[in-house]
Amino acid sequence: MSGKNNLTLHGIGISMADEENFLASSFRYLQKIVRQSGPAASASYTMIGAIILLGGLGYLIDRWQDTRPWFLLGGLLLGIIVGFYEIAKVVWKNRR
Amino acid sequence: MSLAVQGHGANEFDAGEVIIEHVSNSSLEHPIFELPTLWGIDFSVTKHVLLLWIVSALVFTAVTWSVRKYLKQDRPVPTGFMNALEAIVEYIRDSIVLPNVGRKYLLSWTPLILTFFFFIVTANGFGLIPVFDVLGAINRLILRVGPEEKQFINTLLHGGVTATGNYNVTAGLALVTFISIIIAGSRAHGFIQHWKNLVPPGFAWPLYIMLIPIEIMGMLVKPFALTMRLAANMTGGHIAILAILSFVFIFSGLFHSALAGIGVGIVISVPLAVGVSALEIIVILVQAYVFTMLSAVFIGMAINVHH
Repeated sequence: MSGKNNLTLHGIGISMADEENFLASSFRYLQKIVRQSGPAASASYTMIGAIILLGGLGYLIDRWQDTRPWFLLGGLLLGIIVGFYEIAKVVWKNRR
Repeated sequence: MSLAVQGHGANEFDAGEVIIEHVSNSSLEHPIFELPTLWGIDFSVTKHVLLLWIVSALVFTAVTWSVRKYLKQDRPVPTGFMNALEAIVEYIRDSIVLPNVGRKYLLSWTPLILTFFFFIVTANGFGLIPVFDVLGAINRLILRVGPEEKQFINTLLHGGVTATGNYNVTAGLALVTFISIIIAGSRAHGFIQHWKNLVPPGFAWPLYIMLIPIEIMGMLVKPFALTMRLAANMTGGHIAILAILSFVFIFSGLFHSALAGIGVGIVISVPLAVGVSALEIIVILVQAYVFTMLSAVFIGMAINVHH
C-alpha cells in the first residue's frame, strides 16, 4: 500500500498517490515514451523498407536479365547498407 | 462475409481464390460506374475507388459540419462528437507534430497530418464493417435477387472494402508525404539548401561518392516503407480472418458433411475470428497513428537539420 503511494514515474515526476490521476499520468507517460520512440521507429521501418525495396528490385532485374542470383544479393546488401545508415544517423543525432 | 464465401464455393471450395477475391480490388472489366478513359487512364470506379470517395465525403462532412456547428454556438466548451474531435486534434498537434516539426512550422503542417490521420483511421475502420456484404445478404435473402443478375449491389459483392489495403491508395498517401518533405525542407532552408542538407557536411570528398547515392536511396525508401506497412497490415488482418473462416468450408468439404464444418466453426473458427477482429481494432488505430507519426518525423527531419 505504502509502496504504491510512493511510486513516482521517473522523468516526469508525477506522483501516483492520487488514485484518480493514475490513468491520466500513465497516459502522459505513454505519450512521453511514444514521443521519444518516433525517430527510432522511423529508422527501423526505413531499414526493413530498404531491404525489401532494393532486394525486390534486384530480384526483378534478375528475372528480367536472367542473371540469378547476383542482382538479388547485391540489392539485399545495398538495402542493408542503406537501412543501417538510416539507423546510424538516428544514433549519431542522439549522441551529439 | 461467410455468406459470400458460401455463395462462391457452390461446387468446390477454393480458399485461396476466395481470399484473394475478397482482399483485392474489383476488376476494371466490370466497374461499378463506367467512366471514360482520359489521357490513357481508365477513370472507371471500382470498389476501392468507391470506398475512397465514400470515406473522403464522410470525413469531410462530419468534420466540417461539427466544427461549423461548434463555431456558431455561444458556449466555448465543445460537446459530444466535437469534444472527441478536439481531444484527438489536440493530441496529434501536441504529441505528434510539435515534438517532431517544432513550434515555428507547427500550424503549417498540423492540418496535413490531421487529414492523414482522420482519413486513414476512417478508411481502415470501414474495412472492419462489412457494409457491402450485409447489403448483399439483404439483397440475396430478403429481396431474392439471384447472384447472376446484373444489379448494382451484385457488382459490389465479393471483396474486402479496406481502401487502405490497396497498395495504390497507400502509395498515393506516401507520395503526398514525399512531396511534403521536399516542400517543408525548401520552405525552411531554400530549395538548393534542402538538397544540400540531405548529406552531412564535413567529410572528405571520396566519402560523398558513397554517401550521396545512399542518401538518395534512403529518401526513396521512406515513402516505400510507409506504403508497404499500411497496406500490408490492412490486407494481412483480412487474410487472417478469411483463412480462419475458410476452415468451416474446408472441413465440411473434407468430411462431406455440413456438421463437421459447423462444429469446426463453433469450436475454432468463430472464436478465433472474433479474436483477430478485436486485434484488428487495435491495428487500425496503431497503423493510422504510425503513418501520421512517421510523416511528422520525416517532415520534421527536413526542417530541423542538425549537423
